[in-house]
Amino acid sequence: MLKRLAIAAAILGSLPAVALAHGPSRQKVTESVEINAPAAKVWAVVGNFQDMSWAPDVAKTEGKGGNKPATNEATNDGATRTLTLKDGGVINEMLDDYDAKEMTYAYEITKVDVKVLPVNDYSSHITVTADGDNKSTLEWKGAFYRGYMNNDPPANLNDEAAKKAVSDLYKRTLAAVKAKIEGGK
Amino acid sequence: MSFLLRSTAALAFLFLGALQSVAVAAEALTTNQPADNLSFVNLDTMKEVARIKIGGKPAGIALSPDKTKAYITSPDSRELVEVDAVSRAVTRRLVVGGGPVGVAAHPKRPEVYVADWYTHKIIVVDTNKFAVVGNIAVGKSPSGLAVTPDGRLLLSADRDSNTVSFVDIASRKRIATVPVGDHPFGITIDDAGSRAYTANVKSDDVTVIDIAGRRVVGRVPTGRRPYAVGLADGRGFSTDQYGETVTAFDLKTLAPIKVIRACDHPEGIEADATRHNIYVACWGDDVLLRIDPVALKVTGKTPVGDGPRAFGKFLR
Repeated sequence: MLKRLAIAAAILGSLPAVALAHGPSRQKVTESVEINAPAAKVWAVVGNFQDMSWAPDVAKTEGKGGNKPATNEATNDGATRTLTLKDGGVINEMLDDYDAKEMTYAYEITKVDVKVLPVNDYSSHITVTADGDNKSTLEWKGAFYRGYMNNDPPANLNDEAAKKAVSDLYKRTLAAVKAKIEGGK
Repeated sequence: MSFLLRSTAALAFLFLGALQSVAVAAEALTTNQPADNLSFVNLDTMKEVARIKIGGKPAGIALSPDKTKAYITSPDSRELVEVDAVSRAVTRRLVVGGGPVGVAAHPKRPEVYVADWYTHKIIVVDTNKFAVVGNIAVGKSPSGLAVTPDGRLLLSADRDSNTVSFVDIASRKRIATVPVGDHPFGITIDDAGSRAYTANVKSDDVTVIDIAGRRVVGRVPTGRRPYAVGLADGRGFSTDQYGETVTAFDLKTLAPIKVIRACDHPEGIEADATRHNIYVACWGDDVLLRIDPVALKVTGKTPVGDGPRAFGKFLR
């Protein structure tokens, strides 16, 4: 009996490091889709920071500054946009980098409620790469922290919840872009 | 007698020669956070030569004064992990609690200091006993740590207090605070121990501190979200995470010299012992970059594990 207790204590003693395993660790999600269309055609759909109508979740894009990246958060001298989602959620974003020749841009979320997207300090890249004349790859890559920044997050705001929310958003959006372009709509 | 002395000297010379050849195999050790492992990169060939599992999502790194041991923070498992850098194996693990992030080793004492992000203190670990032997209260969410070359002061970048804490190592007490930019993360002290440089994530700049005077002497604008600062050839280099650049600036005038296109989320940065190269861990692109600090150009690149952070001193 004593021996069994000692074993149980040893097991319990080794648990906390695993069961309570959380900390300030940045997460990374990359999703991509192959589209049967020239890269320029895909870029024409996704390449304007002031128009995110290509994402089915987005109801409205309002912004300023065109496609000019910001040099500094404090001076706020670059492009910004406010996305209003179909479910009413609002996301404020800022453009960090934009290269039409390379067909890529980078932006960050400056403000979002964790109820809308369970992340903090989110930044992402959108890139179109040509795979020959009539094929291309659209890639969406995000970097972010989970919704709950302290230790021991609730399940809906932990690392896994953040990764799943972002990954699901990327997948359904990329699938919609592919369908829209290939469907000729 | 003289023959004996001479042959002993010759033996000692041979022995030192052998040691030297171990020591000069310059390497970078990158903590690959999402991959949960540590990459060893040979800096002569710019090739990854080994990868070992660490666990707990490793982030911070410091090396023992003789550079044979690495001390790694694993925030998810709340551990400090000791690695034998020569045999490339995990040797000891210690649960320190909280959210260990930054770590620095003392140049002489058998001590490493671990910044606890969540409980706003620095944990002192005796590296012989591999046990916690003290706690030092500092500002909120201490991140980067650095020790002056004389071993007297420990500086802590207190991210959420926007300050740098000066800790007297002998008494383990905070003796001063210096206000810096918004959300200082990495902190680097020069070889002379005269100045410290913080990378301020939110204000997009570097604060330069006169250590003896305990005062700010200047600020350098950087790219978006600077993470840490490296020093080489009279120049400072900030890794700009969102800017995807490395901003080079003059250490005398504090004027920016050039913005170098780097990679997605450049993070840990350090110059090698000869100061002829500076190395950058790229979290987003999973590579280690080599930059020539004089020509201000990227001169090499090699893949490492997923998500290298290398937050601290990672070259040996």
